[in-house]
Amino acid sequence: MASFTPYSYIQCPCFDATGQARPSDESPSASSSDAPESDDDHAFDPRSPRSNYSLYPIEHLLYCVDCNQIRCPRCVAEELVTIYCPSCLFEVGSSSVKTEGNRCTRSCFQCPVCIGPLAVQSLEPAPESSSLLTADNAAPPAPGPWALCCSYCNWSSSEIGIKFDKPQGIFGQLAKIRDGDGHGDISVAAVDAAPTKKSGDAEADSTKSRFALMRSFYQSQLANSNSTSSGNLSGTLGEYGYGSPTALSRIMSLYSGNGLAALKPKSRPTEIREADSFKDGFRPSNLDESSSISALRENGYDGTVTNSQATSQVDEGARFVEDLWPIPHLLRSKRAKRCPVCRHILSKPEAKVNNTRWRIRLVAGNYIPSISIKPLNPTDTPGLPVPDTSSLTLTPLKPTQYLLTFKNQMFDQIKVTLATPATTPGRFASRVTVLCPQFTIDANAEDYDINEALKDDRRQDKEEAAPQVEAGKPWERGRNWVSIVVEVIPSSLRIEPKPAILRKPGEAEDLGPLKEDEDILEIPMFVRLEWESEAAQDQVGSTASKDKEAKEKRELAYWCVLGLGRISQD
Amino acid sequence: MSRKQPKGEWIETDTGNKVNRKANLIGTQHIMLGGKTVIMPDAMIRGDLARTATSAAGGPPGSNTAVFIGRYCFLSKGCCLRPPGRIYKGAFTYMPLRLGDHVFIGEGSIVQAATVGSHVHIAKDVVVGEFAIIKDYVRIMEGTIIPANMVIPSFSIVAGQPARIIGEVPEGGHEAFELRERYKSVKTNPLAAGS
Repeated sequence: MASFTPYSYIQCPCFDATGQARPSDESPSASSSDAPESDDDHAFDPRSPRSNYSLYPIEHLLYCVDCNQIRCPRCVAEELVTIYCPSCLFEVGSSSVKTEGNRCTRSCFQCPVCIGPLAVQSLEPAPESSSLLTADNAAPPAPGPWALCCSYCNWSSSEIGIKFDKPQGIFGQLAKIRDGDGHGDISVAAVDAAPTKKSGDAEADSTKSRFALMRSFYQSQLANSNSTSSGNLSGTLGEYGYGSPTALSRIMSLYSGNGLAALKPKSRPTEIREADSFKDGFRPSNLDESSSISALRENGYDGTVTNSQATSQVDEGARFVEDLWPIPHLLRSKRAKRCPVCRHILSKPEAKVNNTRWRIRLVAGNYIPSISIKPLNPTDTPGLPVPDTSSLTLTPLKPTQYLLTFKNQMFDQIKVTLATPATTPGRFASRVTVLCPQFTIDANAEDYDINEALKDDRRQDKEEAAPQVEAGKPWERGRNWVSIVVEVIPSSLRIEPKPAILRKPGEAEDLGPLKEDEDILEIPMFVRLEWESEAAQDQVGSTASKDKEAKEKRELAYWCVLGLGRISQD
Repeated sequence: MSRKQPKGEWIETDTGNKVNRKANLIGTQHIMLGGKTVIMPDAMIRGDLARTATSAAGGPPGSNTAVFIGRYCFLSKGCCLRPPGRIYKGAFTYMPLRLGDHVFIGEGSIVQAATVGSHVHIAKDVVVGEFAIIKDYVRIMEGTIIPANMVIPSFSIVAGQPARIIGEVPEGGHEAFELRERYKSVKTNPLAAGS
C-alpha cells in the first residue's frame, strides 16, 4: 500500500460564500441530504465533491488582516507584477507580450519530443571547439550550419530539416522558416511525406501566418466593397472602417443572413469574395490521406506524436514526428495577490526577476495555529525518532490515539475550541473523541531561545513520568504549543447492508465497492480561535483607537480536515 | 543515527560543519564549506575535479575551488556532488559547482549543476545534469532527472524525467526550506545523543 503521511487541510471561507450564492447546486446533492437546513448545525463533509475546491494545506493560505479572514488561492485576486522567461530569466515587458505573444523570443526552446532544453550546436564540429558556449570567447567561432539539439534525448532540429545560418536570433530565423518567407539560404530539406507541409506552394503553413494572410485578404475585400457600395446605407457604415463595431455587425449579418442583411440589396453579398487560394490564407483540408497512411506504414507507431507532444506544440495539428517544431518557452509571471473583499494586498513579490524577497507576505501560517498529527504510542520514548509510521494502518474497531500539536505563531495568547462530529461522515463512520476540546496556547514570545531550551530539558525530565491520557487536559504543552489527544475508533470497511431497524425510510444504501481513498480516516474538525490583540494596529484611520491602547477581542473560526491514516481492509 | 556509532564518528569544524568520517571527500583542498553544513556518511564530494584550464586572468593558485557550499546545507547519505565539465578553449576542463545556503540534497542524488541557489530542496534519487542552474526556493521531487543546461527559476516545484516545472511554491511554504533545525538535530557527540 502506498505510504501515508497524516495531513491537515483547512477550509477557506469562500466555500460558504459560493454555497450561499448558488443554493440550487447544493440542495439536491446526495451528500447534503442528511444535513440540516441551519448552517450552524451543518457539519462539514470532507468527502463531498465540492470540498476538493476549498481545502488547502496551511502553506497555501493567505490571511487578510483587515477582514480577519483566511484567503485561499482560489478566492484571491491576482495582479501581474513581472513577466519573464523561465529559461533565460529575462524580463519581458507587458507591451511586448501583447505584440509578440506569450513565448520567449530570445532563443529559449524546448525539445518537442521530451521538453528538455535545446541548445544551439554546430553541425560541423570544428577542430578546436564544438559548443556554442565557446563561440563568444577567444576561440574562433565554429562554422555553421547550426541546429538546436536536446541534451536529454539527443533530438536535433536537423532531423526535421531545420538548420540555422548563425547561432544568434534563433527565434527570428525559425519564424522565417515557419512562416514561409524564408530566403534561399535557409535549407528546408525533407520534402517527402507531407507535401502540403513543406512544398513551395504551401509555405504559409503556421496558423499565425495563415491568419495574417486571411486577415489582410478580408480587409482588402472589405475596403473594396465599401468603395463600390458607397451609394446605400451600408456604405456609410463602411466608412467607419474595419475595426468599428458597426462594421463587425455588418459582417456578421452578411454571414448569418438576418438583421441588417434583410435591408440590403440582394447583390451585396456577391461583392465579397471568399478566400480560396493559398495567398488568401486559405488551406483546404487535405482529404487525400494516402501520404499520411504511407508515412504511418513506413514509420509505424514510433513515427507518430504522442498526445502530450501534440498539445505542447505551438501550432495544432502535428501528427508525425517530422511535424514537431522546437517549442519556444512559455513565459512565467510573478504575481501579487489581493483580498477579494477589501482589496488589501496579501502578497507582493519584488519586481526584479532574480530577487526572491517579498514586499508583503501575509500568510495564514503566521496567524492561525498549525496542526501537526502524530500517532500516540505510549510505549516509545518521545525523545527517540518515531518509527516509520507511514506503513502502519489503522485496525478496524480498535481504539487508536493520535496526538495533535497546535503551534501558535501569533504574539497573543489564543484560546482554542475544537469540535468534531461524533462519527465521521461517509459510508464508514468512525467514532471520534477529542479528549481536550478547549485549551489556551501561550503567545509566540520573542525571548524564545533560552526558554525553549529550558522547557526542552524539563520535558525530558517529565518524560520519565509519561503523561497520562486524561479527558479535559492537554497531553503536553510548551512555550507556544499544546498537544492534545484524539481517540478514534476506526470503522470496519466491510460493505454490508444496514439492519432494517437502523435504516431511515427512503434512504438508498450504497453497497458499491470501496472507492478511491475511502479507506482514509478523515476527521472534519471545527476550530474556533479567540484572542485579544491591540485594537486595529495597522489599519488606516485608526489613530483614535490607538490612543486608548484598548485590547480588542477577536475571533476566527474555520473547518479543517485531519487525515489520520488508512484503515486496514481485513 | 549517530547514536550507536562509536565516539569520534563525526568531525565538527570551527565553523560548525558536521562531517561524518565515512563521507568521501576527495580533493579537500578544492572544497569550500561555508559552515554549519552537515555531511552524512557515504556522501561524496569530488573536489579533485577542479578546473584544469588556467583562467584568463591568471588568478592566485588557491582560487581554483571545485565545490563551493554555503551555510546550513545538508548532504544526505550516498549523494554525490560532482563539478560539471566541458570543452573550453579547445581543452576539456571542469567548472566549479556552487551551492547556496540551506540546500538539502537527498539520498543518492547526483548534482552536477553549475549553480544551486539558496533554499533548495533536492529529494532523493535526483540527477541534476551538467551546468544546470537552479535558482532559489526550488523543490525538486523524488526521482527527477534534470537535463544538462536546464534553468529552473525561483519558486518552482520540479518533477519528472526529464524535469518539468509542475507547480509553484506557495507563499506560506518558504519556511519549510529552512535547515537550521535539521542542523541542530544532528548530534555529533555520541554521549550527548543519549541512549
